[in-house]
Amino acid sequence: MTDTTMTQTAPAGRLSGQKLGLGALAILLVALFVTPVAMDDPFVYHIFITICIFAALSTAWNIVGGYAGQLSLGHAIFYGIGGYAGVMLTNLGITPWIGMFAGAGVAALVALVISWPCFRLHGPFFALATIAFLEVFRVLALHFRDLTGGATGLMIPLEIGWEWMVFRERLPALIIAFGMMLVCLGVAWAIRSNRLGFYLVATRERESAARAAGVRTVRVRLIAVAISAALSAMVGTFHAMYLSYIEPASMFSLQFSIQIAMFALIGGIGTVWGPLLGAVLLVPITEFARGALGAEAIGLHGFVYGVVLMLVVLFLPNGIVGLGQKLAGARRAAPGQAGAIATEAAAATAAPPAEARVPGQEVMRVEGLQKHFGGLHVTNDVGFTLREGEILGVIGPNGAGKTTVFNMISGFLPPDQGTVSVRAPDGSWQQPASPGDFAALGVGRTFQIVQPFAAMTVEENIMVGAFHRHANVSDAREAARETAHRMGLGHYLDTEAASLTIGGLKRLEVARVMAMQPRVLLLDEVMAGLNQTDVRRAVDLMLSIRDTGVSIIAIEHVMQAVMSLSDRVIVINSGQIIAQGDPQKVVRDPQVIEAYLGKEFTHA
Amino acid sequence: MDTFLQVVANGLMLGGLFAIVAVGLTLIFGIVKVINFAHGEFLMVGMYLTFLLSTKGGMHPYLTAAAVVPALFVMGALTQRLLIQPLMAARDEHVQIFATVGLSTALINLALLIFGADIANTPTSGVREMVTLGPVRVLTGQLWVFGAAIALVVGLQAFMKSTRTGRAIRATAQNRAAARLMGIDDRFVYVLTFGLGAACVGLGSALIAPLYPASPTIGTYFVLIAFVCTVLGGLGSIPGAFFGALVIGLVDALSGFYVGSDLREAVVFGIFLLILILKPSGLFGTRMNLSHVS
Repeated sequence: MTDTTMTQTAPAGRLSGQKLGLGALAILLVALFVTPVAMDDPFVYHIFITICIFAALSTAWNIVGGYAGQLSLGHAIFYGIGGYAGVMLTNLGITPWIGMFAGAGVAALVALVISWPCFRLHGPFFALATIAFLEVFRVLALHFRDLTGGATGLMIPLEIGWEWMVFRERLPALIIAFGMMLVCLGVAWAIRSNRLGFYLVATRERESAARAAGVRTVRVRLIAVAISAALSAMVGTFHAMYLSYIEPASMFSLQFSIQIAMFALIGGIGTVWGPLLGAVLLVPITEFARGALGAEAIGLHGFVYGVVLMLVVLFLPNGIVGLGQKLAGARRAAPGQAGAIATEAAAATAAPPAEARVPGQEVMRVEGLQKHFGGLHVTNDVGFTLREGEILGVIGPNGAGKTTVFNMISGFLPPDQGTVSVRAPDGSWQQPASPGDFAALGVGRTFQIVQPFAAMTVEENIMVGAFHRHANVSDAREAARETAHRMGLGHYLDTEAASLTIGGLKRLEVARVMAMQPRVLLLDEVMAGLNQTDVRRAVDLMLSIRDTGVSIIAIEHVMQAVMSLSDRVIVINSGQIIAQGDPQKVVRDPQVIEAYLGKEFTHA
Repeated sequence: MDTFLQVVANGLMLGGLFAIVAVGLTLIFGIVKVINFAHGEFLMVGMYLTFLLSTKGGMHPYLTAAAVVPALFVMGALTQRLLIQPLMAARDEHVQIFATVGLSTALINLALLIFGADIANTPTSGVREMVTLGPVRVLTGQLWVFGAAIALVVGLQAFMKSTRTGRAIRATAQNRAAARLMGIDDRFVYVLTFGLGAACVGLGSALIAPLYPASPTIGTYFVLIAFVCTVLGGLGSIPGAFFGALVIGLVDALSGFYVGSDLREAVVFGIFLLILILKPSGLFGTRMNLSHVS
């Protein structure tokens, strides 16, 4: 794909599309409440209450399963905790309105404790772990009979009224279920449209790139899990009161967990409104099958669920919301933006004003780095310093260990020995350990193999970097746009990162880290694979960045660029620094020539 | 002491039973890199087939394997071809999990629709006879299952190591792109492997049916345990799955006797979680693995 084939969505079309979507959504929400009230039939009430409950649960699940991309198939744990907390406290004479917050607290705590060790597991392993936890909870709920009633379950005392969430009429139950659904949707929407949501999606798409952008990936996921668990528990409390009877098999059920996840997948995983749509479409099928066909059709609704699930993953992997977007997108495809880059890059030299700096002061000190991978000595006593406003080129043959050094001076790899010190803005020297620590001190990096957040637009990608300086979404958006224009990406703001060319992706890497406004910039082969024009443009760009007072360490193979850029060059071969100093002198060093070309060329 | 030995014997026999389910699961995971959540339902389908053939057709349950194994092979191969293969390129691995979860849900409920929730007893046909082995007593059927599990593991290992097809399968598992460059049809390898994995469980179902009644949800229990065994043995390792299954069988029997039968599963899954979190490569390391599972 070339730059010219990329399309840009017209902002006006996007706006009206959004309005249309929000209008439809409002109508759907009103219909969810008004239809049962108007029809005033107990069965219809029951269906709509069930829709609200599942939509609420699925929306809460989506915060973890969708935004954070951690496929939990054990969410019934939290629902069950909420249910049991509510019923057990009600039996002690405490209203479920309090019980539901107690349940939410316990669920959030349990979620933190069980998720923290599981976050190192990916994909299917995380799913398996959540299933195993669910089984453990079910077995324990069956075992501790005194507390939970064991297999016989628990009944709620028949006290009627708002205080007890138990009613003779159906309307109050609908009001509560509908309200809970609105709360869940509101929370999910708020998360998605704030920094936390951006961080979660970025972590899901590329964990290492998110960490380089200063995202505390474990912390943001734990926050997401705690919120999701608390919401699920609150819905669980109400559902238990609504069902008036609970037992371990139904409260801690794997099938139930799968259903919750399934509604989100079918509606559109990771979208705000997808889970709602999934529940609206599928719950009535189930309930009608149950109500109309009764015992004869036992298994029918599950069969339909399973088949629909397979069809959706095969033909609609982005769910109903994805289908809607695709249809809407096809209608408003705008013409390509050929040649846009050239004009933009010409204006690229206008950089933001630099803070007052003392030029030439040391800003990073690397001493005696050692690293072994098994028997391989990949880094052997590497040490250098970086001064403010300096470009330090790092060259060396393939496999020399340049990227390993980079990983150690950005916190991604702990050195076996040696230290990396960074001077903080207040002048003190610190030894950061994690990528987050490095980012906090203003060290930003790019990756040799580009790591875009593929499901996000260019603007959103850069915003993840910008959030490092701006907690507020509109400020971050502003900063991201400014950076995008500087980097020649201004015309691609609404393009999905996945559809950029390699040149565009390389620029996006730099744009994302520039949006962090780093004091030290680590660039890992940002010019590899670029054409001559783009290389020249990139050289100008780096010089303009340097002139704002940023210090740069650049691994680069494009010699023309290294020579014209670097104030100093270090040459790494077989894990050791074999030469350093003025670029012109270094390339004439016999040892360097030997490392690159072999012994026979040293006298040539 | 005798009681202890008897409990150990029960555990080993149970382990053999878990092994015969786990082997196919680990084969599919090791090669196709897909966790087949519908694996237990393959077992369930196989057990109902055995039930039907032996009650309606009057066959000995073990003889039904001649029909059940090919049937399950076809079922597995079709699953790969029609459901998994179109999703192999998906950016998001959740999609494959949901696909097999969907298949599992559909099959359980289809069985509910056809057979109802009641259990279906396959005739015991003389395999529930008690035999005395020194201080312990076991069922002949359990011995058959145990022997079959060993034969299956040895046979599969031999197939993988010393046949051309086996080498092609291992090559594909280790590096799909390189295998394709060497002229291996990776799609065929995946279809074949999925079929083989399902066929293993087909053999298992013919052997298990006379010992356990079939029910629509029987697979859920077995597949969860099979996941535990395979992770314990290092996912993708066939001998690992076998030894993992023996360990879990022993844990199940011992904890059932000494901790309480209602807490067995909590102990088993607790161990599973510890392994998953502390040593995800499994107890027996990665050396035995068919492939590098990252």
